[in-house]
Amino acid sequence: MKDGDGALMGDTKVSATNVNVYYGEAHAIKDVSVEIGDKAVTAFIGPSGCGKSTFLRCINRMNDTIDICRVTGSILLEGEDINAKSVDPVQLRARVGMVFQKPNPFPKSIYDNVAYGPKIHGMATNKPDLDAIVESCLRKAALWDEVKDRLDKPGTGLSGGQQQRLCIARAIATSPEVLLMDEPCSALDPIATARVEELIDELRDSFAIVIVTHSMQQAARVSQKTAFFHLGVMVEYDDTDKIFTNPSDKRTQDYITGRFG
Amino acid sequence: MADIAAPRRAASLAEVTPSLKKRRAAEARFKAYGIAAISVALFFLVALLSTVFYNGASAFQQTSIRLTVDLKQDVIDPQGRNTADAVMTGNVFRWGGLVDEALLSQLGIDPNDELLAADAQKLISGGARIYLRDYVAENLDQIGTKQEIWFLADGVVDAFMKGSISEETEESRRPIKDRQIAMLRQLEEAGALEKKFNTGLFTFGASSRAETAGVGAAMVGSMYMMLVVLALALPIGVAASIYLEEFAPKNRWTDLIEVNINNLAAVPSIVFGILGLAVFINFFGLPRSAALVGGLVLTLMTLPTIIIATRASLKAVPPSIREAALGVGASKMQAVFHHVLPLAMPGILTGTIIGLAQALGETAPLLMIGMVAFIADIPSGPTDPATALPVQIFMWANMAERAFVERTSAAIIVLLGFLLIMNVTAILLRKRFERRW
Ligand SMILES: Nc1ncnc2c1ncn2[C@@H]1O[C@H](COP(=O)(O)OP(=O)(O)OP(=O)(O)O)[C@@H](O)[C@H]1O
Ligand SMILES: [Mg+2]
Repeated sequence: MKDGDGALMGDTKVSATNVNVYYGEAHAIKDVSVEIGDKAVTAFIGPSGCGKSTFLRCINRMNDTIDICRVTGSILLEGEDINAKSVDPVQLRARVGMVFQKPNPFPKSIYDNVAYGPKIHGMATNKPDLDAIVESCLRKAALWDEVKDRLDKPGTGLSGGQQQRLCIARAIATSPEVLLMDEPCSALDPIATARVEELIDELRDSFAIVIVTHSMQQAARVSQKTAFFHLGVMVEYDDTDKIFTNPSDKRTQDYITGRFG
Repeated sequence: MADIAAPRRAASLAEVTPSLKKRRAAEARFKAYGIAAISVALFFLVALLSTVFYNGASAFQQTSIRLTVDLKQDVIDPQGRNTADAVMTGNVFRWGGLVDEALLSQLGIDPNDELLAADAQKLISGGARIYLRDYVAENLDQIGTKQEIWFLADGVVDAFMKGSISEETEESRRPIKDRQIAMLRQLEEAGALEKKFNTGLFTFGASSRAETAGVGAAMVGSMYMMLVVLALALPIGVAASIYLEEFAPKNRWTDLIEVNINNLAAVPSIVFGILGLAVFINFFGLPRSAALVGGLVLTLMTLPTIIIATRASLKAVPPSIREAALGVGASKMQAVFHHVLPLAMPGILTGTIIGLAQALGETAPLLMIGMVAFIADIPSGPTDPATALPVQIFMWANMAERAFVERTSAAIIVLLGFLLIMNVTAILLRKRFERRW
């Protein structure tokens, strides 16, 4: 897949056009348009405060929970406008999962953390089914071997890296179509990071993945497409190889070579 | 970085520079203030508790006199029906006669010596005949036999036995005569005079006779009110807080509501009493002096406390938990009820119990709605006339007799006991539900 040829990737899963986000008066995202491919990893990079998280949160309408936040423009998930009046954000979030920047497991057991999503969406009616979902998600998140003997222990008792993998397991338990990951590795050591990157590579077969990262190497390693954000504007969006070898914008060039940010 | 001034350093770590000295002195002063403040607070607490216990401890014992009563069939129930009904109806004075007879024969006094007999009769509580009637009604099979029964002694006898009336005082200046004291000594020698645990304190209602006055009715009244408060204030308060904290838009109206709720918590409690009088009694026509009305008034008083505590504990739940729940596709309501509320529970419960404890000790609004009545019978429901523990304390505190003084303190001890139990419950609940996140 990492041949840099966008046309070979899956179809467009999410397509955003002219998205603007305002926090009260502050204009945080300015006219961003982007097409996110299915069964591929798209990376968002850019200096701190440039609006990566804000844009990511538009895709599952998490910004709805912020009173002062206003989103305009259109975002289509498989051709459907997610901001339409008739769309229930709860329904949307079941299809667009999210892993947050800071690990935030529920203060419940490890098992319940993973089982919660499937339970509320009625994906499993009996215990064996639920057990199977929990096991497979924990395996996919490369956490099963570490926690299989203490599934009833609180998820908050795990280490930071384990918590983040637990959050990934929780996010994929609802079988979303799109997985949004906001700096999933910022709290992880290199080994756990490598695991998560492997995981992302595997998950790519089934989901469209959007990952925000501050690590240029990580973006280069895991993604097929990369978008560079700067001061609320999407400066450049292209194949990852192209961005990292031959960016067309001066600002991108400066950023990836470490001249600012 | 050269332009940042280097701090002036002491030559050695151990050197005491003037600034260090000043800092240490300031610290020592601050600690001294703190210790002084705590000592003052502790001193008053100890002084308060020790006076209450010193005055009240004796009320937990009550002097009783044992008499051998001949439960004569022809006096109790000449028709020989031997039913509880027959026992309860009829002339109450027949019971007094039986008690007197037993007392006089115990003391070996000739019933015809009327003056001596009258003095002897005063040793036994005026409530003895009612006690005997109730005793027989429960032990119908004992009619026609002789039974040893413990009767409460008169309040004066009790005070004398507890040493609050001194024998040294001149006879004319104390309420108990020398001959009566002699009779008591006689009873004591026969083992027929004892101080026993005062169960009556917890079972009797109000009474003008100190020995048959207890906090039983007041305790039941307080309990009904607490139930009303718990049943109304907890759900209403928690629902209101959840709505305000999690669902309501933040705008001028909700700000206004918030300010008003905070102000409501500071409204003097007697104002709630006036409100209750005007609304619940005069407008809705609910019965006066009823625990239901008292409970409603206390609910109004407790609501702001519960709402403020609940909102604070909801606020304390980290937003990341809500985001996590919403992120996996939970609805707002699911996020609140599955994740936020359980985490806020310890705070909510603590706030509720503190609110209840405040309500339990509240007197002024209850006076306004007529709960200051003389309630001799234990109320059988929340609409019966009732009184409350603090009101009972207030009423007893106005009585001059020594026996009521000790009962006032005893009632305070009971009230403090309940508050202690509630606070311990709050702590245990908090411990039990506390979770890390
Ligand atoms: N809840 C909010 N209220 C007001 N302004 C916000 C809020 N969240 C973000 N912003 C503003 O929006 C802009 C973009 O923030 P955002 O969190 O998207 O940055 P980011 O690219 O994710 O940065 P980082 O890499 O540090 O996470 C920032 O200027 C920030 O101050
Ligand atoms: Mg961010």
